Amino acid sequence: MSFVWFVRHALVAQFSRLPPAEQFLRHAVDAGVGSVALLTLLIFFAGMSLAVQGYGAFVRMGGQEFLGLFCGIGGVRELFPVMAAIVCGARIGANLAASLANMQISEQIEALSVMGIDPMRYLVAPRLWAVVFTMPLLCAYADVVGLSASYFAAVVQLGVDQGTFSAQLREIIRWQDLAVGVGKGVAFGWLVAIIACYHGYRAAKQEGAAGVGVATNRAIVHSTVVCIVLNMILSAILYA
Amino acid sequence: MSQRRGPLEATLAFLDFFAAVLRCLVTGPHFWLETLRTMDILMRRCLIPVGLAVAPVGAVIALQGVGVFRMFGVEGLLSSMLATAIFRQYSPALASVMVAAQAGSSIAARIGTMKVRGQIDALAVMSVDPLRYVVVPGFIACLIIAPLLNVLTTALGLVSGWFFAVVLARVDHGAFVDNLYSQVTVTDLWIGLAKCTLFGGAIGLIAGFAGLRTVGGAAGVGRAANSTVVTTIIMILVIDYFISLLLLWLGV
Repeated sequence: MSFVWFVRHALVAQFSRLPPAEQFLRHAVDAGVGSVALLTLLIFFAGMSLAVQGYGAFVRMGGQEFLGLFCGIGGVRELFPVMAAIVCGARIGANLAASLANMQISEQIEALSVMGIDPMRYLVAPRLWAVVFTMPLLCAYADVVGLSASYFAAVVQLGVDQGTFSAQLREIIRWQDLAVGVGKGVAFGWLVAIIACYHGYRAAKQEGAAGVGVATNRAIVHSTVVCIVLNMILSAILYA
Repeated sequence: MSQRRGPLEATLAFLDFFAAVLRCLVTGPHFWLETLRTMDILMRRCLIPVGLAVAPVGAVIALQGVGVFRMFGVEGLLSSMLATAIFRQYSPALASVMVAAQAGSSIAARIGTMKVRGQIDALAVMSVDPLRYVVVPGFIACLIIAPLLNVLTTALGLVSGWFFAVVLARVDHGAFVDNLYSQVTVTDLWIGLAKCTLFGGAIGLIAGFAGLRTVGGAAGVGRAANSTVVTTIIMILVIDYFISLLLLWLGV
């Protein structure tokens, strides 16, 4: 089963008919609400680190008043969406891969096909829709938390002038930047979900429990690498 | 050992586990061949994902930085910022995150599988301490490969930044190279390597801990791999923040 075959069938299953609302909601709540605590913690520290490290770098060159510029560009355009994608890959992607792989090795997926239920439509499509729907929301949330954390670290901890910092943020961050971040979230969400479902779906039955581990591991690594590379390509197209 | 007994019990168990691993490190017998084998496997598995994940970061920094530095007419300083960011910050942190994703989850999954299949108990029955034979080699391997990978990713990040800035964005090559090392010192490289060693050791420990606590069959293996990655990423970011605050405070 090749990846191309899987993507083609998943796309057909995803767009031919909308998934049942109840299934979609269950997976969306699981992926979205379940990740909020983790995402808040990580993005808060990532935002504070961004400000502290930017300050450290700019102090050497004598330009600490440009910290707002640095946090705006580095954070909203790049770091926060990518961190959200890494968190999403590590938590949502790994969960999807582990659950599908577990179903595959315990032959539940075959049982579904025998009963005449298309596993692509019943298992994969609702998960894809759920993650595609929740990831942009998580990315928007990450922007809010991350910027607040950067602001907190810069103004409260490091004593950067509050007016300069927020004026620079307002100048450099436009609505387009926030929209790009959210749009990146849609792409990251779909990719993480499809990669995780693919690795879960093709877990080798004869390997048993080891197959679940391999599927989880591959889902995390492949989705992270793909998201980071895609982020570079998107940034190069949009900002260069 | 049940997995759901609250965070306090887990913390105490982890400290207990940490002490046991330290005792195994100090006293013999050591399984050096197994350690080398683990290092070999992990290095092969990590090389490509870690490189692929960190290389784009240099390009992204150059790409976003070039616009801003042009705005102020100090294009030449782009490379000093790039070098500071890569050496100190992004190479160690991202390399560690990727080592956690690849090596950490695979160690946890492997140990978890052994635990679920009863192989850990079988080792103990044959009077081979599973801690010495399975956990300690993974711990030492992570401790060593993380800084090694950091050297590679630092170089990759600088090269990809150079490629974007000089080849694509037409920053002057001479100015780029001249300013590259104007802000970084050897201390920055050591800081990056020290951070990576710390994170690598923690990854090996957490992976071994989560693997040995696996319960509940195949689903438990997935949970162990997943919780290892999530825990280590949290740990890396939180510790990283406090280290940079400390370094700023010390003025290094």
